[in-house]
Amino acid sequence: MKRSPEELEKLIHETLRALPDRRAPRSLEARVLAAIEARSALPWWRHSFADWPLAARIGFVALSTAIAAAMVAALMWLSGNVDTSQLGSTLANRIGWIDGLQQALAGLRDFASLVIRSIPTGWLYGALAGFVGVYALLFGLGATAYRALYQQSR
Amino acid sequence: MNDDIPVQTQTTGLITPTDFTTFMRNYQDMVFSTAVRLVGNDAQAEDISQEVFLKAYERFDTLQSSPTAGGWLKTVATNLSLNHLSRYRNRWKFFSEFRRDDAADDSDQPDVEFAAPDAFFTGMDAGERREWIEKALDQLPEHQRVPLVLFHFEDMPYDEIAKRLHVSLAKVKTDILRARAALARILAHSGASHEKFSA
Repeated sequence: MKRSPEELEKLIHETLRALPDRRAPRSLEARVLAAIEARSALPWWRHSFADWPLAARIGFVALSTAIAAAMVAALMWLSGNVDTSQLGSTLANRIGWIDGLQQALAGLRDFASLVIRSIPTGWLYGALAGFVGVYALLFGLGATAYRALYQQSR
Repeated sequence: MNDDIPVQTQTTGLITPTDFTTFMRNYQDMVFSTAVRLVGNDAQAEDISQEVFLKAYERFDTLQSSPTAGGWLKTVATNLSLNHLSRYRNRWKFFSEFRRDDAADDSDQPDVEFAAPDAFFTGMDAGERREWIEKALDQLPEHQRVPLVLFHFEDMPYDEIAKRLHVSLAKVKTDILRARAALARILAHSGASHEKFSA
């Protein structure tokens, strides 16, 4: 006997709704209680901010606001009272080592470009194609292994 | 004598573990069933169920006396399962689904007219019947099982399912139609013979 989609929907609905709940694993209860115990053992400041005591939350907001205001005030004071040219030269002396590092990196870059220029272009393209080929091969093998081993075992 | 030590929490006040354990025992099968039918994996469903009960614990003071606690737990279990599936699908899409996601949209409508008995499982006991249906559900591909479960178990309308799964309404309808047909084919088999699932 042929059935219409509406009849099929009714039949499947009745069949599925008659299904009892599946029994939860025995380990679930123990896992939940262990997780609750681990959470309650944490100090209050490791909980979410919303769970902090009210006084701590107010204190934290007040302290953060005070620090931000102090920083803004300090910056304003510095901009008005400090000789910026003198500060600039002092800073330049302090971070002079960055220049040395920059020169060393430039030397390395020049050496690398010299090496690359000395290699025939064909070799470079070949190496690039080889890299891409091996990458695609390994990716394909991974996907095939996943589908063959993991998907079938589900 | 009750040896359980009361636990003090910021949000829930004084909760004795026995209260929460009783609460959990009342609902754990329902929460686990909701999760496992959606994700199709026992271990992942257990993880999701744990997360659901941890969230429930955070608001246990309101949930323990609420008549809608079951509904709240079911909704959270459904949401967490869908979030999990979404993350999992994005991560493993390439590996597990080589075909296009919207493949069902542009194909012809499935032939849902087929010979089916008035009822499945003639001559089967309740345990065997339950096992058959659960395994038949597991055999459905995810893109058919998830909307089918949302429609028939969670009473979610088509448009809401489409919104939640980020797919078109047409795809949801086609997937559910095909899932019913596939499920009926598997289950109709059970009326004829008691052979076990091979997969």
